[in-house]
Amino acid sequence: MSEIKSILSQLDCVAKNPRRQLDMIIDGGKNVVGCLPVYCPEELVYAAGMIPFGIWGADGKELSKAKLYFPAFICSVLQSALELGLEGAFDRMKAVMIPVLCDSLKCMGQNFKAGVPQVEFLPVIHPQNRKTEAGQEFLRSQYMKLRKRLGEIGTPISDEKLAEAINIYNNHRRVMREFSETAAKHPELISASERSAVIKSGFFMDKAEHTKLVERLNLLCGAEPVVPWDGKRVIVTGILADSSSLLSIFEKNGIAVVGDDVAAESRQFRTDVPVTKDPIEGLARQFADMEGCSVLFDPEKKRGDMIVKLAKERKADGVIVLLTKFCDPEEFDYPFLKRAFDAAGIPSILIEVDRQMVNYSQAETAVEAFREML
Amino acid sequence: MNGKYAMGIDIGSATSKCVLIGKDGNIAANSLIASGTGTAGPSMAVEAAFGKLGVTRENISAIVSTGYGRNSFPGADKTMSELSCHARGAYHLYPEAKTVIDIGGQDAKVLHISNGALSQFLMNDKCAAGTGRFLEVMSHVLQLDISEMSEAGARAEKPLEISSTCTVFAESEVISHLSRSASINDIVAGIHKSVATRTAGLVKRLGVIPEVFMTGGVARNENVRHYLSRELGVDIKTSPLAQYAGALGAALFALELTNNKE
Repeated sequence: MSEIKSILSQLDCVAKNPRRQLDMIIDGGKNVVGCLPVYCPEELVYAAGMIPFGIWGADGKELSKAKLYFPAFICSVLQSALELGLEGAFDRMKAVMIPVLCDSLKCMGQNFKAGVPQVEFLPVIHPQNRKTEAGQEFLRSQYMKLRKRLGEIGTPISDEKLAEAINIYNNHRRVMREFSETAAKHPELISASERSAVIKSGFFMDKAEHTKLVERLNLLCGAEPVVPWDGKRVIVTGILADSSSLLSIFEKNGIAVVGDDVAAESRQFRTDVPVTKDPIEGLARQFADMEGCSVLFDPEKKRGDMIVKLAKERKADGVIVLLTKFCDPEEFDYPFLKRAFDAAGIPSILIEVDRQMVNYSQAETAVEAFREML
Repeated sequence: MNGKYAMGIDIGSATSKCVLIGKDGNIAANSLIASGTGTAGPSMAVEAAFGKLGVTRENISAIVSTGYGRNSFPGADKTMSELSCHARGAYHLYPEAKTVIDIGGQDAKVLHISNGALSQFLMNDKCAAGTGRFLEVMSHVLQLDISEMSEAGARAEKPLEISSTCTVFAESEVISHLSRSASINDIVAGIHKSVATRTAGLVKRLGVIPEVFMTGGVARNENVRHYLSRELGVDIKTSPLAQYAGALGAALFALELTNNKE
């Protein structure tokens, strides 16, 4: 048991101190490339001998410089990420990859280029039509460009190195999926905050090292007896679910997170990269294979049914939708998600969140009422 | 738990309401003080209710606190969210209610009731638009007492449009109407219409299931109810005790607590 607590506290420390973690990696002799939401081909960075480092903004970051570049109605994830960049928080990174998966991200790249010229900006351009041959060909060509540039920044990327990186990442994805199941089985061992910290810490560590720790955690928790949980079990969905205030409200109300459809959590490790002869083809195919994400074009709108299925599998009592303020893609998805939850008879609530939120009393009331309702 | 009465206290942002009920679930005393959380309002509300019956804490079997200030009320046996309490109280006041609209001092909520309990809900954004506070700000600008607003709105001949969502911008809009010597009644009706439109948006998002019942302080404003009813295309019922729905619901939960313990 003490080893479980020790791993959890180690990962919690990483999740809470990205700055220190960044310095440690760089001081240890490794180069770092920042990766903005939502999906970056991290395997390319890893294959070039560098460490990809997640940049998803920061809670409670006061926004001043970023306001010169962004209007007020851009999500706080990007506002705070840009503020960090403008403050020089990424200066030790070799480059920062910025995808263009939503309208705000499209402006982010240009703002970053203008405001943070000291850090190289690498655009990651994904096709809207992910599954067509033309879309795939386009994406392969984009990834080839990135492969070339990252190979120049780090070390040249051979097919073997890329295949090895893909293998390390797929292994990490598998272990993280197992962790999500483990946390669902043992809410008495892994609280909502600890679950979040385990997942979040993966953004700030070498994936191979993170895999080892989480694999050990899974093993130790798996050996513990399953005890009945007298609280409530929920699935969370949204862009982020890492607010410490909100997670402690969950805990205070006896709510365990037994699964998620969160962009910064399970959506990162739900889909493996297929192993193909040409590893670039595998990377591009993974982008076509991913489903149920608000920033990925899906005419069939499968996300609602996917969450319903997950809720049933994990025996969840309800779903909590954490809607990041000003996130258009998530707002567009909400009506059909709600319809899917209602049709399946799964209670749900919507809580609007953002990284600048300081007063959680309304969220607390909503969570309390939801718990009383379940 | 030997007391004769169960007590519910609803500590809102603007007012404190206290309800004492007997073992039969009927209201024995109620009180309202126009000061909310963080003030002497809650204890004054309790004293006022106790005073009406000549009772003390000894005579109270259980206390449930609810509302924005629920966690800071000393002596509560349990706290419950105001959503559950409003659903419970509204159902008690009007058992046919399926949709409850509660507009309080600083937020607006819509609830669905199924089998007498809360089944779904939606709350407004973190913004005063469309809440009691909005009406309060507007009444100050117009130098009207909040209780005169409803009648003033009903006398309107040509309600004006208040298009700004934000309370601050709406205030400047009202001032510009005033400077153009528009009729106060028409401005008030415009304000009520804007509250109704905003609230209707929230209600429609959750779905309108008749019968619709309105609680909270703003329920007393008949003119707001009139416009809201027009926006939603349904009758909106209320009760003279609508403002006490949260405290009543809390008292009913307190009674349940008493019965479970006995």
